[in-house]
This record gives sequence, structure tokens and C-alpha cells, in this order.
Amino acid sequence: MMNNNNSEYVIEVENLIVQYGTRRVLDNISFKVKKGEIFVILGGSGCGKSTLLRTLVGLIRPHSGKILMFGKDVTTIRVQEQIKLLKRIGMCFQNSALFNSMTVGENVALPLKEHTHLADSTIDIMTQIKLDLVGLGGCSNLYPSQLSGGMKKRAGIARAMALDPEIIFYDEPSSGLDPIVAAGLDHLIRKMQNTFNLTSVVVTHDLESVQIIADRVCLLHAGKIVAIGDLKEMELNSNSYLRQFFTRTPNPEENQSTSAILDSLEDM
Amino acid sequence: MIVSFLGKIGQIFLNGVHSALVVCVLIMDTLNWLFLQPLLGRGLRWRSAIEHFVEYGFRSIPIVGLISLLVGIIMGMQSAYTLQQWGATIFMANLVGISALRELAPLMSAILITGRSGSAITAEIGTMKVSEEVDALMVMGLNPVKFLVVPKFIGMVIAVPCVTVLSMAIMIAGGFIVAVGILGIDFWAYFDQTANALVSKDLFSGIVKSIFFGLTICWVGIYRGFQVEGSAESVGKMTTSSVVTSIFTIIVVDLIWTALFYFTE
Repeated sequence: MMNNNNSEYVIEVENLIVQYGTRRVLDNISFKVKKGEIFVILGGSGCGKSTLLRTLVGLIRPHSGKILMFGKDVTTIRVQEQIKLLKRIGMCFQNSALFNSMTVGENVALPLKEHTHLADSTIDIMTQIKLDLVGLGGCSNLYPSQLSGGMKKRAGIARAMALDPEIIFYDEPSSGLDPIVAAGLDHLIRKMQNTFNLTSVVVTHDLESVQIIADRVCLLHAGKIVAIGDLKEMELNSNSYLRQFFTRTPNPEENQSTSAILDSLEDM
Repeated sequence: MIVSFLGKIGQIFLNGVHSALVVCVLIMDTLNWLFLQPLLGRGLRWRSAIEHFVEYGFRSIPIVGLISLLVGIIMGMQSAYTLQQWGATIFMANLVGISALRELAPLMSAILITGRSGSAITAEIGTMKVSEEVDALMVMGLNPVKFLVVPKFIGMVIAVPCVTVLSMAIMIAGGFIVAVGILGIDFWAYFDQTANALVSKDLFSGIVKSIFFGLTICWVGIYRGFQVEGSAESVGKMTTSSVVTSIFTIIVVDLIWTALFYFTE
């Protein structure tokens, strides 16, 4: 804690630029995430939102710009410092990324085994608590391949929660799930944030889950931030891409070419 | 046209330099996590290393053993065919023994283990990369080299020489079968001939080769595994490429060591 101003924000991104070769994927991104809020990064397919998340956790090295996490610059951090920092964050991957060669219980126990000096019996108990937390209490001895999509995501959350992180990142938590399971997951994310005062960063394109979970939203389009603010501010914003996104309107030109073909087929 | 041709050559050269650099970094990283980091108290995953040793070594014994026996018999018959013309069939003991120890056993074992386990290493790491498991390790602050590479490395570098020594013995036994069973040479005469023909340097050169074959299989497999990008198709492509690259590199390494042993006779 350096001073009050800094401790309010746990993540501060300044002028972030990410390039693959010469193709600019993220262009001059700046935003701040407050402690204890659910910050949603919203955007269409291929807008760079997954790239942004992967850059935040240090999997992609940015071309330029700053990412301050707990006041430390992730982009220039040393390895030992980075490991300390990584212990304070958790990440849930899009396809859950559970280790297929280990049981669900072993997956959750792995960070505890590697980063703490706790006795095996303690680790067993903690693993069980984390699994109970996400509603997978009886699945400790199953392998990831024996779980359904929604259960895998829950197990992924349990693993991300293993070290009691302060920030948790979710990559597309509701993708590929039916509405009921997806809604269940949204409530789980909310509950986690309420219970543990967890800061959450969620990447999604699912408008319905945004309505449930988002404290603040940032909308990305073609690597740039279109709008940023809470849901009310989003309602009032008149940006055309934002309106199109929130009202689920297709692009007119794509629509014209396909409908021309469909019309001609109808005429036949 | 000439420009594009030269450009192509330059591109191939640059790609070669790039992959050589990547392999060097991988080798340095492996050695770092194998020797330096455990001394600094960061531990080694012994249990995983032993599991890999059992998988690469112990489980490959049936197939390597069978093929070694067949190759031994073939070698016996081929050398008998030539040596019969001078009535010197007893010297097939020298031929089979020396070629098994110095060349065939290390090479056959290495090639079989490449097909069996080198491909498996690439496929495993590749699949883990596609399903973001490697990323998950990194986000947890766990080093993929420590977790995925070093246990495989230890398992492979110990397994290949062990299997090779076994393969040497079985190949010589194959020669025995031909000599004693088909040609009717006295068992003890053949035994003495074999024992006199072989010197410890033959065994030594075979084992040295096999250690380097183990290193090659492991590093090529891992390098190709980490090259996988994106899709399941890429896993298949890299697995094929891993086997081809590995066998090619093994032959080159074999040539280098054979030349070294030849000129330092």
C-alpha cells in the first residue's frame, strides 16, 4: 500500500500496444480496475480481448506501454518478482485448461503443493474446500475428461482460487455452455466477488452475463477501446458500434450480400 | 527470379539460425533446471522422472528385444553367407559382436524409441499447448521446463543406454542362434570367439552414442512439441516432423561419433 490513491486501483493499464509482427492487435489501450469490482472486457470475435487478457497475466509481451498490477509494472518485472505476483492472481481459461493427466483434485492441489510448504493432509482439506466452493465436492477423484463443459469451468475456477488470489481473470466463462449452466457460472462469479472481495476481470461477448455480473464494462473494437463505464453509462452512450453491439444488429453490408442471394433463391 | 531464389536461400538460412537459437535456449534452460535450480532448493520432480523412465525404457523392452533378436539372426546369416566362401564361419562371431555393440544396437534402439516415445513427447507437449495447459502452468508461476521437460529428459537419457545394452546382448544371442542352431558351431567355441573379439572400447563407444541419441530424441521431441500452434492438425504435423528430424539427427550424430572413434583408434 503506497497511498490511498494507488491502492484503490489494483490494475492500471497505460497506452498498451501489442503487435504480432507488424499487425497491431491492441492499439493504445488505457484503463484502470478498482479493487473489489467485476470489470468486464466486452467485444466481438477477433477484437483482441483475449490478447488483452493474456497480456495482463504476462503470457504475451507488449510492444510498448505499462501494466501496473498492485503498483508493479508487469512488463519489466523480474522473474522472481513475477512468480510472487502470479501467486496473487488466478486465471480461468476458456477451455478450462485442466491438466488432463491429473484428477480434478490433483489439479486444484498442484499450486498448493508447488507454492506452499503445507502438509499433504492440509492440502487435501483445502482442495476439498475449494471444490465444495464451486459445487464440485464429489468430483475430486474424477479426471477432467469425465466432466461436462460447465463442470470443467467450475473446476478451473477452483484451481484458480487455490492460492486465495486477490485478482481473478476469466476468459470467456460462459462460452460453449447452455443458458442455465452459463447463468449458474455468472452467479458463481458474483458470489466469489461478494464473499472474498475478489477483483475480477472477465472477458466475454455474452451480453446477458454482462447484465448480471458487470460493475464496469469496457468495449473493445478492432484493438481500441470504444467505450468504458458502468452499465448505465453504456445505455446512455450513443457510439454507433456500441449501439450496434448492444442491440445485436448485424453489419448492413454483410446482410445485403447474403440477403440478395437468399432473395434470388426465394424467387426461384 | 534470381532475387527470389536468393531470398529463399536467405530465408531458409535465417530460419535455421532461429531454430538453432531456440534449441540452444531450450538446452540451457533444461540444464539450468536439471542442475542449478535443484541446488538452489527449487526441487526436481523425481517421481515424474521415474515414471518417464519406466515408460521410455521398461515398456519399450518387448519391441526392442524382439527386433534386436531378429536383427541378430539376420546379421548372423548374412555374415555366414560371405564367410562360408573361405570356410571362416567362426569369424561371424566377430562381425555380429562388433557391429551390434558399435553400431546396430545403439541405432536400432534409438530409432525404435524415437518412433515410440519421441513422437509421444511431441504429441503430449503439443496437445498441452493447444489446450492452453502450458499457459496455465505459466500463469500459476510454474516453469514448463521444470514440469514438462526435465522429467522427460532424465527418463530418456537414462532409458536409451539401458535399452541399448540389453539390445546388444540380445543381438549377440541372435548370432548364437544362427551359429549354434543352424551352422552347428560348438557353443563354447563361438562364445570364446565372441569374448576375444570384443574389447571394452566397443561397449564404451556404443554407450556413448546411445547417450547422445537419447539427448537428441528428447530435445527434438520437446522442441517440435513447443512449436505446435493453434490446432490439432498442427499436433499431427509436428509429431511427424519430430520423428523425421529425430531420425535424421540421430544418423548425423552417429556419423560424427563413428568418425571420432575411428580417427582416435
